Amino acid sequence: MATVKVSEAEKVYILHGIRDDLRVDGRGCEDYRHVEIETDVVSNTDGSAKVTLGDTAVLVGIKADIGKPRPMVPNEGYLEFFVDCSANATPEFEGRGGEELGTELSNTLYKVFNNKHSVDLKSLCISAGEHCWVLYVDVLLLQCDGNLYDAISVAIKAALFNTKIPKVHISADEEGAKEIELSDDPYDCMRLDVENVPCIVTLCKVGHRHVVDVTLQEKACSVASLIISVTHTGTVTCTRKLGGGSLDPESIFEMTEAGKRVGKALHAPLMKLLRQEESLGKTRQKVGFLG
Amino acid sequence: MLKSKTFVKKTRAGGVMKIVREHYLRDDIWCGSEICAECKQESAVLQTDASIESDLCSYPHYVIPDTNVVLHQIDVLEDPVIRNVIILQTVLQEVRHRSAPVYKRLKDIIHEQEKHFYTFTNEHHRETFIEREPGESANDSNDRAIRVAAKWYSQHLKKAESEADGLKVVLLTNDQGNKQKAEESGLLVYRFEEYIKSLLGNPELVDRLALSNDDKHDITSSKVLFPEHLHLSRIQAGIKSGTFLQGTFRASRDNYLEATVFVQGEGEDSTEVLIQGLQNLNRAVYQDLVAVQLLPRSQWVAPSSVVLQDEGAAKDDNEEDKEEEDEEKSLRISAAAEAARKPTGQIVGIIKRNWRPFCGMLNLSQIKESTRHLFTPADRRIPRIRIETRQASTLAGQRIMVAIDGWPKHSRYPNGHFVRSLGNAGDKETEQEVLLLEHDIPHQAFSQAVLSFLPKMPWAITPEDMGRREDLRLLTVCSVDPPGCTDIDDALHCRELDNGNLEVGVHIADVSHFIRPGNAMDKEAASRGTTVYLCGKRIDMVPELLSSNLCSLRSNVERLAFSCIWEMNHKAEIIKTRFTKSVIKSKASLTYAEAQMMIDDSTKNDDITKSLRGLNKLAKVLKRKRIEKGALTLSSLEVRFHIDSETHDPIDLQTKELMETNSMVEEFMLLANISVARKIYDEFPDCAMLRKHPAPPPSNYDILLKAAKSKDVEIHTDSAKALADSLDVARVDGFPYFNTLLRILATRCMMQAVYFCSGMDSDFHHYGLASAIYTHFTSPIRRYADIIVHRLLAVAIAADSTYPDLMDKQKQSALSINLNYRHKMSQYAQRASVAFHTQLFFKSRGILNEEGFVLFVRKNAIIVLIPKFGLEGTVFFDAKDKAGPNLHFDEEGPTLKVEQHTFHIFDMVKVTISLDASNIQHQKIRMSLIEPVISGVSVPAPDVEPLAKKPKLDR
Repeated sequence: MATVKVSEAEKVYILHGIRDDLRVDGRGCEDYRHVEIETDVVSNTDGSAKVTLGDTAVLVGIKADIGKPRPMVPNEGYLEFFVDCSANATPEFEGRGGEELGTELSNTLYKVFNNKHSVDLKSLCISAGEHCWVLYVDVLLLQCDGNLYDAISVAIKAALFNTKIPKVHISADEEGAKEIELSDDPYDCMRLDVENVPCIVTLCKVGHRHVVDVTLQEKACSVASLIISVTHTGTVTCTRKLGGGSLDPESIFEMTEAGKRVGKALHAPLMKLLRQEESLGKTRQKVGFLG
Repeated sequence: MLKSKTFVKKTRAGGVMKIVREHYLRDDIWCGSEICAECKQESAVLQTDASIESDLCSYPHYVIPDTNVVLHQIDVLEDPVIRNVIILQTVLQEVRHRSAPVYKRLKDIIHEQEKHFYTFTNEHHRETFIEREPGESANDSNDRAIRVAAKWYSQHLKKAESEADGLKVVLLTNDQGNKQKAEESGLLVYRFEEYIKSLLGNPELVDRLALSNDDKHDITSSKVLFPEHLHLSRIQAGIKSGTFLQGTFRASRDNYLEATVFVQGEGEDSTEVLIQGLQNLNRAVYQDLVAVQLLPRSQWVAPSSVVLQDEGAAKDDNEEDKEEEDEEKSLRISAAAEAARKPTGQIVGIIKRNWRPFCGMLNLSQIKESTRHLFTPADRRIPRIRIETRQASTLAGQRIMVAIDGWPKHSRYPNGHFVRSLGNAGDKETEQEVLLLEHDIPHQAFSQAVLSFLPKMPWAITPEDMGRREDLRLLTVCSVDPPGCTDIDDALHCRELDNGNLEVGVHIADVSHFIRPGNAMDKEAASRGTTVYLCGKRIDMVPELLSSNLCSLRSNVERLAFSCIWEMNHKAEIIKTRFTKSVIKSKASLTYAEAQMMIDDSTKNDDITKSLRGLNKLAKVLKRKRIEKGALTLSSLEVRFHIDSETHDPIDLQTKELMETNSMVEEFMLLANISVARKIYDEFPDCAMLRKHPAPPPSNYDILLKAAKSKDVEIHTDSAKALADSLDVARVDGFPYFNTLLRILATRCMMQAVYFCSGMDSDFHHYGLASAIYTHFTSPIRRYADIIVHRLLAVAIAADSTYPDLMDKQKQSALSINLNYRHKMSQYAQRASVAFHTQLFFKSRGILNEEGFVLFVRKNAIIVLIPKFGLEGTVFFDAKDKAGPNLHFDEEGPTLKVEQHTFHIFDMVKVTISLDASNIQHQKIRMSLIEPVISGVSVPAPDVEPLAKKPKLDR
């Protein structure tokens, strides 16, 4: 992960600030930076969202394709993740530098999102055992300024909300050979229920405090970090400790509690925003990448 | 201004793709009206004075038709009266999507300046562009686009109205909903019928109105055209239970809506099931193995005698339906005669496809950018194939090969793909290649493996060979062949013996000495089966070293031969027959003409001449005896081309002449074949390779009998002898060619002679030659059957050893099936080659007027034979594009009454012959009637000047 070098004096300064619940940029320990979300930014995809969190920028595109259900779960579709760590995001990603991080990120995303509790995978099934929708989730890191997990998870949730899957129906002929037919109305499409899609909250232990949405400088001061995926009800679906450093059980418990709190608080405005944007329909002014 | 259009599409692999297209809106799209001062157009298409007399619209107006109006009423729109029409881009695109032919016609109208049709690209116009709304169907959205554009026009023209007297736009639609919505938004809108009927002074237009509200036209492309094929397991169950029959599908050459399925029954009894109509044919392709279900007896029909070609090149699937229905209907009507009805069925499934790559040409789609085109195979029995290609413009005019991929049930044509190009159509090499490929003739150069079995050169007869063979080098053997023949496989001799009898020898090239059983060369020869003679080209069965040198019995060289020597008395009765392997040295290689001259030239008295005279004398006796026994002399016109030595183009064409010497050689070959057949059958009753010619079933003679009867001539067909005799006496005064014509007809009644293995069959009779047993022995260089016969005979006289396959009747039988197939194909190829050269000839000759005879009468055509060229052609009396003359077909005659004139078989007609190169696809000889003169049918005799401008011929 992208890192910065921080001098000892600076570290002390940051640590002392956090001890007093006052971070360098003026936030409290459980505050996020400024977040911007725009959906439907890539017209070629079936759903897309761009999220900026401070200076971290993430683009998520979702393509729906017809595939074969996994043999163990014949009546469910599935998601595939790919994270592209663009060298634009940070010079460290140049060449194959971003590969390891990309794999790590996508593995975590599989854990968090690709299960029937997060996404209604059954609704992705077209005909059991034969056809299902496969959602290819492509994550592109445009800029890295810390807290990638949170930004990505918000972007994925927004993109899933935005995803429009064309409606299909299966017509079977007398012999039983099935054929997929597409509706010719581009507005005739299926939407996903994103109510239960979790968001990831990354908590870093800085000093004795647990800090949300760390910048790269704060990250350099942190002992260890924990990611917690939380649904809108505050249910924790996944936790994972990242990087080196150790955490005592007590702080893990405290961090989880903080994560729940923050996560719950994150979902409500996010959904409100997304619905609001959707309701604008065609009249919405698109900002895109140049705005 | 940029917009994007988004739609989803199914990919070929079954996936779904979202496609986004950029769509630019502009504000520099002009309205196209002369009256408009606002638009900066260079030349306006729509006139200021756009008046047409109408009850409804007394003011000058422009017309905007909607898509359905254009699709269905294109005939009316084409009328010169209809002018000043605005064709919206939306309409144009939908028309293009729905029907290629109508699109083509519409484009033609737009290009015609007199018509003042203007295309308004409303979808790129900033003010008329609309986006599809949620819940709106594609049709509704298009209708709305049309209304928006019409609205824009009416407002736009209002601005310029100051000077003109109220120029308006009128929307024409037959859609009730659309009309209502348009009225609500204040547009002038009429139903098309309403509008046309209101036009004063043009009542004839009303007749051309197509019936509206024809739901049939609203079919989408996914309409199912064909019934589903049954699953293989159900087919097998059905065949087992007898509800279905299994057979080979044979499409008709003349009628694409008709076919037969040949059902091989137990032993001899095999039946043919007639299949009629596109639905019943159900996507079967020539040579497929299919399952048929017989229809109830009440639905049985008779084969129609209509010549129908699928000419729907231009037509789109939907469009074609109607026409085909008509054609099918016309087929059905013919089914009147109860007696002629045949078992009729429908195809329920395909057991095995027998698709191979087909040669043919591309029919370019009328839409220029289209990548989907129809491919027309050279073989008329194969349906057109739809292929996708991006190189269509290059492939146009080339002969290409295409393979069929599949035939979905909602597609009128099978889908296929381009395989390779053979070269430009019309090139001699290309056409020859096509011919060979189409007839499945192996024509590659011989492989090294094959060539490795050739004897080493220089080759000479070894003393061992000499020791085992009879030395006949001193006999005056000579060969008589057509001019230019290099593969001489037979030679003859005749000498007087001391006892006063004659010794006659037929010496056949000993090919089996060189081609040993089982080696690569033998296998190749067995697979090729026969040498194929095309005009100006020969495709050898054995490598040239053998065919033209070592096996060819050329003069003055020692050659190995297999001799059949008879001792005969002067009455040509055989006293003794013997067969021997020999060495001969031919004294002369003569042509038929040379031999004839030697016989006729009384001053000559050398050995060769004497030998020839002896042979000739005996041959005449033999022939007479043979004819007495009932052998048939049939006739078919064979043409020979005089080929230009430099360009290899045919410069003249004449029918082959037969001389006495032809028949002399023939007689002895027949005699040798019969003698050998007896010998090998006596020796190997189970595995002799023989040739039979089955007697035709009596029904085959129907046409011959009817034809003869029309001239009050009686023909008896009870036996070959009766037929031969009655043909001999059949003469009509003042019609010298009658007898030949009758014989040509008789030939058409015959069955095909076939090779078979004596152990597998009981009927050996050769009908045509009136011989109880027959085989082929005399042309081993060019026929593989003869090689087998040579081997059998060699074993029979202990001159060679045998091998297992030779004595295996199953293997022999399989071999004979291949030989029969190759033989048939080579004949077809030969005919096709002649036909192609005939075309080349007529191409160089331009238009000719010739006399000919009616050979057959069909329902809508007569088939005319031009004796001078041995050319047969069809004169059609109906044409698709215009009303045909009054035709009345009488099956009893058969006669065809065209207007006032009745055509009978053998009628003499005068026709003009020309090469119809308009369709490079299938160049054909076109014949049009000159005499008798029937108004509206016959054409005036054109000038025969080769370079004269081609007059427009009616068909």
